[in-house]
Amino acid sequence: MSNAAPNSIYAGVTTLVVGFIVLPLVVIAWSSFFANPILTFPPTGYTLDWYRRAWDMDVFREGFIVSLETAAIATCFSLLLGVPASLALVRYPFFGRDAIQTLLLSPMIVPGIVGGSALFIAFIEMEAITDMQIAGTLGGLLIAHSLIALPWTVRLVTASLAGTNRSIEEAAASLGASPFTVFRRITLPSIRSGVIAAALFSFVISFIDLEKSLFLVGPGRTTLQIALVNYLEWNLDSTVAAVATVQIVIIGTLLIITDRYAKLSRVF
Amino acid sequence: MTSTAATLSAPPPPVNRMRVSPAFGLGTPATLFVLLGLIVPLALMLRYSFNKYDPAELMISALTLENYAKFIGDAFYQQVLATTVGISALSTALCLIAGFPVAYYLVRMASPRMRSLLFILIILPLLMGNAVRTAAWMVILGDQGLLSSAVTMLGLSPAKLMYTPTAVVIGLVSVLLPFMIVTLQSVLEGIERNLEDAAASLGAGHLTVLRRIVLPLSLPGILAGTMLCFILSMNAYATPVLLGGPQFHMMAPEVYQQVTKAMNWPFGSALAFILMAVTLVLTATSNTLVQRRYRKWSE
Repeated sequence: MSNAAPNSIYAGVTTLVVGFIVLPLVVIAWSSFFANPILTFPPTGYTLDWYRRAWDMDVFREGFIVSLETAAIATCFSLLLGVPASLALVRYPFFGRDAIQTLLLSPMIVPGIVGGSALFIAFIEMEAITDMQIAGTLGGLLIAHSLIALPWTVRLVTASLAGTNRSIEEAAASLGASPFTVFRRITLPSIRSGVIAAALFSFVISFIDLEKSLFLVGPGRTTLQIALVNYLEWNLDSTVAAVATVQIVIIGTLLIITDRYAKLSRVF
Repeated sequence: MTSTAATLSAPPPPVNRMRVSPAFGLGTPATLFVLLGLIVPLALMLRYSFNKYDPAELMISALTLENYAKFIGDAFYQQVLATTVGISALSTALCLIAGFPVAYYLVRMASPRMRSLLFILIILPLLMGNAVRTAAWMVILGDQGLLSSAVTMLGLSPAKLMYTPTAVVIGLVSVLLPFMIVTLQSVLEGIERNLEDAAASLGAGHLTVLRRIVLPLSLPGILAGTMLCFILSMNAYATPVLLGGPQFHMMAPEVYQQVTKAMNWPFGSALAFILMAVTLVLTATSNTLVQRRYRKWSE
């Protein structure tokens, strides 16, 4: 094409925009190494001290552990519910299938603040009836996070199922394999990468959730995102930058692994 | 949001008269989970939005529109809604203007390797979490932040950015831009390059090609991207709270405030449904308007 001029304009705009998206993360990672006692620019020197301090702070350490725990268990739940549901959606035509698919994807569409407050109100009402604490417990948090992860699992696993060849399953079944054997020996291996991507992605989505968890955390059960926001309302220092940097590294690694199993550009 | 209403009335997975479909056993647990975890709580909240609030008893069962009337009659909340819509519209527009050239570059000009590198750079920040990304902007925009230090070093006096609407817009645009770029590029990918080449070979300049070929064909993507960004920014929480400061009010933090801090569930519920309804009406209206325009274009 004969448009050398627009080409460089587009490249320039792209550089600026991508910089605008990426630069904040670079800056916060940079500032986590500053030796300055108060976070100011330019740095007077560099230190790793903030990372130790961040780990010594109960809110961040406990928040980190609660987040890991919640994300791991919620991922398992969303796979246990989502993989069979995806099979039902892709393999068996039934009346109202589109409606069920929309329903399963809807937690992705309802805004986190609205879904979170609705769940919070429902939990408190359940507590009044059953005399059992739900809001502020790990159980309550797990329900919310499984809901956040489920639609992504369904989306990734149905996409992966749609790309597999059904006749191999039928051949195995006709040779006498039980439905479970067919699933274990044929279906699961063929959607393996989809399931791995779904697990990793569900973990990330749960780990970074802020809005829905806001309503459901309790004393000693605060996720890392909430701990960060609570801290940031009053302070801004290199400790928080260190926590953010650790999160950037963990999530970045998980996503790059995810990308090997399912192209991230196809996830959205 | 449209879908939840439709699925409420959806029939349960059908039971075959002779035998139960395997889909029933496979799909029911997940379906029940979403029904109980999302649809029932939403229905409950909708019902509560018609209840009365009482300072002593917190909530009295009633069937009244007074929570909605309170919202409409209260200048403060009208201002909150106006701010929310205004900030969201501005952020969305900026995302579209900045995102389109990037998506076009990715699809048409970047080499495959460059493209996947840029893609990772755009997607990764999207999934870093709003808390971390907002914290990063606080480090840049703060009173002793990177930007004001840099401006001071150049011998200029820095403008106050932290706790201003400008800071909120900057934060929102950076959070939402990746969504816009990803949506746009997936639609641009589907447009045949031949069409652009044909127009160019017939003498159309680049801007004409954009205006007459690319823009009309990518309209579905533009629509999807703007709707996504608008919905997300209408419901933003961390950015307005942390970058806007205590004097800056948007709808989502107000809902949180009413439901958990003020324990005024009826009004909080009404706020949540007003937020969803306004978002829905605005996106649906712009959808229809743009599609009408689109039909005119394609004639």
